[in-house]
Amino acid sequence: MALRHAGANPARGNAMAYAILSLISAYCAVPFFWAFLASVDGNASLFLKWPEDWTAANYTKVFLVEDGATWFFNSVVVVGCVTLLVMVLGGLGGYALSRTQAWWKRPFLYLILLIRVVPPPALIVPLYKVLLLANGAMQSLMRAVLPADWYRPAMRIFGFVDGYLGIILILTAMQLPLALWILKTFFDTVSKDYDEAALLDGASLTQRIRLVMLPLALPGLAAAGLFAFISAWGDFLMPLIFISSPELQMLPLGLFRAFLRVNTVDYGFLTALAVLYMIPSVVAFGLARRFLVQTFGGGVKG
Amino acid sequence: MSGLTLDKVTKSFGGAQVIHGADLAIQPGEFVVFVGPSGCGKSTLLRMIAGLEQISSGTLTIGGKVMNDVNPAERGVGMVFQSYALYPHLTVAENMGFSLRVAGRPLAERMARVRDVAETLQLGALLDRRPAQLSGGQRQRVAIGRVLVRQPGVFLFDEPLSNLDAELRVSMRIEIARLHRQLGATIVYVTHDQTEAMTLADRIVVLRAGRIEQVGAPLELYRNPANTFVAGFIGSPKMNLIPAEVVGSAAGRSLLALPSLGGAQVELPQPAPEGAKVTLGIRPEHFSATGTAGFTLNIDVIEHLGAESFAYGSRSDGGTVILAAKGRDDLIPGQPAETRFDPAQALLFAEDGRRLVV
Repeated sequence: MALRHAGANPARGNAMAYAILSLISAYCAVPFFWAFLASVDGNASLFLKWPEDWTAANYTKVFLVEDGATWFFNSVVVVGCVTLLVMVLGGLGGYALSRTQAWWKRPFLYLILLIRVVPPPALIVPLYKVLLLANGAMQSLMRAVLPADWYRPAMRIFGFVDGYLGIILILTAMQLPLALWILKTFFDTVSKDYDEAALLDGASLTQRIRLVMLPLALPGLAAAGLFAFISAWGDFLMPLIFISSPELQMLPLGLFRAFLRVNTVDYGFLTALAVLYMIPSVVAFGLARRFLVQTFGGGVKG
Repeated sequence: MSGLTLDKVTKSFGGAQVIHGADLAIQPGEFVVFVGPSGCGKSTLLRMIAGLEQISSGTLTIGGKVMNDVNPAERGVGMVFQSYALYPHLTVAENMGFSLRVAGRPLAERMARVRDVAETLQLGALLDRRPAQLSGGQRQRVAIGRVLVRQPGVFLFDEPLSNLDAELRVSMRIEIARLHRQLGATIVYVTHDQTEAMTLADRIVVLRAGRIEQVGAPLELYRNPANTFVAGFIGSPKMNLIPAEVVGSAAGRSLLALPSLGGAQVELPQPAPEGAKVTLGIRPEHFSATGTAGFTLNIDVIEHLGAESFAYGSRSDGGTVILAAKGRDDLIPGQPAETRFDPAQALLFAEDGRRLVV
């Protein structure tokens, strides 16, 4: 509309529109541009400037001098597990919620949305209490079944507080409601005839899910997984509260703690870390985009 | 190829009963069409046979075995869905071979069977395409092919032609009829289109509001409808159902007055209780210039369809009388005309709609 109202001369109107859009784009892109320039600048500062001395030293520092590799690994493991869990549980749950006719369906869907509505900081104390209790139980269990020298590494993985399992479950729980809604709505659009045709073709429940529903649900799963990944990847609060061991540290906390160091701020190192932190989100989006736009058609009448 | 019986089969959703005690025996190799207006329960009945809906009470047997609680896949039935329900992510060959794949059959056997069936349906050139790349008629054939590959004892079709355009519908109808002749398969076919029912069926089952109104061969239903509903539903254009009153009855004959047609009186060669309110049923094609009974009708419109013409006249109660007008120069829109019919071909129905048997 803006273009059409721009005046008698459409070319001029177009030029104006492009100029304004370019300005907005530049405004959005500058922080990223600065982050990238500073990350390859041997002498980076708070100000946007062209690097005089191009270097990859900031990046090598992330991995060789600092614990960047550990942070990166932890983030990938935790967020990867969260995304996978959200896709599996969201997919199965969304399918069930779409197909069931139970009276509690609507109330249940609104109820789980409450998890998203409550501000996460308000959840910290009760959540911590619950997880501490679970952690105590897990500790007793691990002490009972494992040799003494396996106890610490096992708790790193299965601990509810300061362990992978706890942070994975919390982040999954936070991301699941949205995924359930996305996938429930998605499955609503997938004709029930596919289920029934597969049923008549003799497919078992697992075959129906694996061979028919899973391929049909890929766009929905991609959308749900992408949102879960981006949201969990960027989550700062939960790792801050529930992870204390340096070897379990995740990327956002590594970045934050590097920023808080008392001696001078190393902008080159910080921006290199920030650029690395951004890459997986962009890659995830790039991968999911293909599925997001891919819509299967033609199986049932349009 | 199996037979199929329904014995007092009912279906209830919650408190609402939607199928009321359906009794039906379908012979092996028979082509049976369920027909009725939307909401009459014909699709529900088909889905109960397929096993997609539970049977609330009564017995379903297929090939002599009780199937009430048998899995859909093990009933020996194959179903063609109205939406085709072809798996969009699989090719035509994969779609057709899906049932064999989930049954764990080797690839070579699968491909051989699929190719066989594809040849029957002229789908050979399309085996590597996906459903989205097919036309409506081709998708329809693939959906039929997917069922054929399974070699079921009974084929179920749920309004398979309703998504096709008129021309394609006619050619697919002929193809399905040819397929039935070629395979000799038992087919249960649901449609709301009485033309499809008339042209395809060995026997038609007319349903209304969850009840079987009448079962019979197409021409039998056409000639001897059991009630006004079947009379009105079978045949195109519809049978004229004209309210009448029996004003005289003697010696196997009755005299009817037609208050909505200016009180005209017609004499029928069949008895009826004097004083009774009845419905006179006359097919449009049974009007002729030479009939011995008749009335005067105001002609509103004449439709020329080419091979046939139909004249539409109005009754004083707001109803319409349709009559075949081929070669009738005396029918002129806007003018009254003397319309005659052969009283021996007219049908009489009691006030509750049931046929008064001769």
